[in-house]
Amino acid sequence: MVNYGGDEVSALVIDIGSSSLRAGYAGDDTPKAIIPSPYGYIPPSALSGDGDATMNENGTSEVAGKAKSYFGHSGPSIWRANMEIGNPISDGLIADFGPIPALIRHALEDVMHCTASEHPILVTEPSWNTQANRERMAEIMFEEFQVPAFYIANTSVLNTFAAGKGSALVIDIGQSVASVVPVVDGFVLRKGLQFSSLPKLVHAHARHLLTTPNPVRPPAELYPYQLISSKQAVEPNAHPRYTLREDRLAGTTRSWREWYEAREVEEWVQTVAGVLDQGWNDQLLQHRQHKQYEFPTGYNAWFGPERFGVGEMYFHHTPQLAGNPDIPKHIPGLITDSLKACDPELRQVLISNVVLTGGGSLFSGLADRLGSELARSFPHFKIHAPGNPIERRYGGWLGGSILASLGTFHQLWISREEWQEHGKAIVGQRCK
Amino acid sequence: MASAADVRSILSLPATSSPAAGPSHQPKKQSTVSTRKPEGISRELYSLIGSSAPALAAQLAKPRLKQKPNLGGGGKVKWEWRSFKNGARSDSLELGHWVKATDKPNADYQFAKYNVQPTVYEWSQDEYSRHLEDSEWTKEETDYLFKIAHEYDLRWYIIHDRYEYPNGPTREIEDLKDRYYSVCRKLVRNRTWAGDEASKSQLLLSFQYDKEKEILRRKYVASLASRTPEQIQEEEALYIEIKRLEQNERQFKRDRENLLRTIAGVDSGLPDIVEDDATLIVADPKKKKLKGMDLDIPQTPVLTAPVMKRPPTLNKNAVYDATHCIIRNDPPPTTPATKVAHTPAYLRSFKIPYPKAAIAHKVNALLTEIGVSHSRLVMPTQANCQHLESVIDAATNLVELKKVLDKVNQDVEVLKNRLELREDGGDGGSVADAMETDDRGETAEPEGENRRSQSVMSARSTRSRKHSRRSMSVSSVDTAVPASTRTVVKRQKRM
Repeated sequence: MVNYGGDEVSALVIDIGSSSLRAGYAGDDTPKAIIPSPYGYIPPSALSGDGDATMNENGTSEVAGKAKSYFGHSGPSIWRANMEIGNPISDGLIADFGPIPALIRHALEDVMHCTASEHPILVTEPSWNTQANRERMAEIMFEEFQVPAFYIANTSVLNTFAAGKGSALVIDIGQSVASVVPVVDGFVLRKGLQFSSLPKLVHAHARHLLTTPNPVRPPAELYPYQLISSKQAVEPNAHPRYTLREDRLAGTTRSWREWYEAREVEEWVQTVAGVLDQGWNDQLLQHRQHKQYEFPTGYNAWFGPERFGVGEMYFHHTPQLAGNPDIPKHIPGLITDSLKACDPELRQVLISNVVLTGGGSLFSGLADRLGSELARSFPHFKIHAPGNPIERRYGGWLGGSILASLGTFHQLWISREEWQEHGKAIVGQRCK
Repeated sequence: MASAADVRSILSLPATSSPAAGPSHQPKKQSTVSTRKPEGISRELYSLIGSSAPALAAQLAKPRLKQKPNLGGGGKVKWEWRSFKNGARSDSLELGHWVKATDKPNADYQFAKYNVQPTVYEWSQDEYSRHLEDSEWTKEETDYLFKIAHEYDLRWYIIHDRYEYPNGPTREIEDLKDRYYSVCRKLVRNRTWAGDEASKSQLLLSFQYDKEKEILRRKYVASLASRTPEQIQEEEALYIEIKRLEQNERQFKRDRENLLRTIAGVDSGLPDIVEDDATLIVADPKKKKLKGMDLDIPQTPVLTAPVMKRPPTLNKNAVYDATHCIIRNDPPPTTPATKVAHTPAYLRSFKIPYPKAAIAHKVNALLTEIGVSHSRLVMPTQANCQHLESVIDAATNLVELKKVLDKVNQDVEVLKNRLELREDGGDGGSVADAMETDDRGETAEPEGENRRSQSVMSARSTRSRKHSRRSMSVSSVDTAVPASTRTVVKRQKRM
């Protein structure tokens, strides 16, 4: 136990991302609770009508304010009349702190069945987090959850730790933000911090690809299973034959529709899309397999070169896109800019410790492509990309789990006593 | 007493199934008891080989499980959840963890010892104004620098990243480091030091920082990093080229060495050629480039003949040489220091002069007469060798002179006889006689002119003693021989 410097004090680690919230015990290798960040809520105005007594599934509903909110796996994904979908996270930051306590409470109490006031809690934050945000998080933890001790750690640093390194160039591709962060000796170099909403662009491109008419196949209609009452098997590229649940259509809100359409696109991307590992090459593309995908409507098609066009967006912008200054920077651009801002002596250290992480990096062939992109400008580099998808997706949580179970870390916790004594300022002083 | 059953068993007949064979059970039982399967032999094997199993195998192959390791205690370990206080914390936070119930309850937290704080340097206003004034830095900024440096435990890259002094100039990492270390140095130097001098100077040494050098180094790193791929490729190509050339050269050297050894023999005393590859590799890129271009010219033996390194002899070790009787033979400076012109080391006794083979026995006789043994020089020092050489030269000259003298004397005798004959026989001159007179007339020419022509000839033939000798033997002028011999000898001496 002493040999590896571990000393577990049954701390909890909470890692909140754009797509999901991860919570678990420090010292574990996977989070115990992984729940989606988006949540469903029924505004009070709509609540007055037909009663929701029947929708009270296994305690996932919480009353936040007057609206009725639904969290967890049976939260947003279950159709409810007039249910809106909200996501407290935007661009990796917590934009709306309203539902955050309820979200955390759901993860800790309903999924993990533990009491927050008995455990020190380590929360993660993105590198571009604001001081006000982290102070607010500390306040929630101390005032609402009554935790004995609290710490807020940077996801990039935690990803570095999860890879077993002290210094690294962390390339984190999430659901809404892709970031390149240089970490040296466990500290983020703020001058080299680069991030862009590139995944959103990729998503928009994929959606455009699916929904625009095409000479080969009709556009896909992104209805979810929840709204389809029956469907028939059809040939590939044929128009689907299905009937919608008319009774539900009326009660479907716009935000829920957007949420599920985005989810359908995402599912398609995760199943079908890929990256050419040696750069765009039309000849090589002819030899790649086509992949079939079936949408909830029964519509199905084979996707060939276009599925690689989606991943290509991460590394290369078409000329008409590149001219636009508002377009988020692609990954090679982010890496170049990040390294440019670093000390020349550090560049070699960083480039030989590249850590690739985040769920968005699970595109097939993305790690190889990144390697071939880096090989163009750097003679020596090394990419650490865990093959285990759990490690890749929850690298930040894993690093937090490692950090919070270290014996030497326990002197860094912000205790209740310190919080009461120093107030919010202690967060900035302690968590550098 | 032998029963029917016993007889049957002796003859190995099957037992009868009659009830009368009842007692036959007893011996069977006995046999199973007496020949019990020894340990270490499998049952199947035993049933095959019977009791003739080797006793040794039974001992050696005794199967035994590996002894289980005793990991201490053996019994159950009781763990309990205890709350603890961390000595590295300043507050009263109590966290809990699982510990062995046998551990001491009030021991210090074992990870608190890793909380090592660096020494913090502080100064008063007075101290600052006396020692630490710097036109570039204000006291407030210096204070801020020390605060942030301490906060980030002297991780300079982080300090530089987070350094934000309001309204301050932009500082490079070298500026920060330089200021920090110079302040520390001054403080250590000017304060009273409690410990010994050695530890003080060591501490000062640890605060040593050369700003200019660091800036230069960083520039180098930056320029190295900013090479274009083409430059890197070119450099790599040049590097490979130089490697190839080196290999060629090595191969060439080896071949030539082999050739020389074959021609000159193994004992020719060839030294091993100095491999000066190291100097080629260490050269900086520019120089490397130049060299690469130079060596790109198709190889000829002359071009690539390895440049031998001459030992630097010039008066450097004169005293040492004198005391150790070392005499250095400097090669002539004009000749290229190639292998061809190189004189390897040799034993001086190999170069002891010998008299010419033709007159060797005469010279030897002469030498033995004066009591010199040239064949065995007891102490062939340089001086001795020179003496011997001069002695042999003198002896050779003497012998040759004597030979010539004898010849001339004989000629004089013959001519005298002939003159007498002529005077006796009157003037009836024959053709042969006329020719003789011609001959004589020629020989009677003044000595000076003759000598001049001879010297010209000898000058042409001074290349070797042999050569001049042959030319002499070709010339039919007998009387000129002594003079020419003299000149030749003179020249030899000069050589």
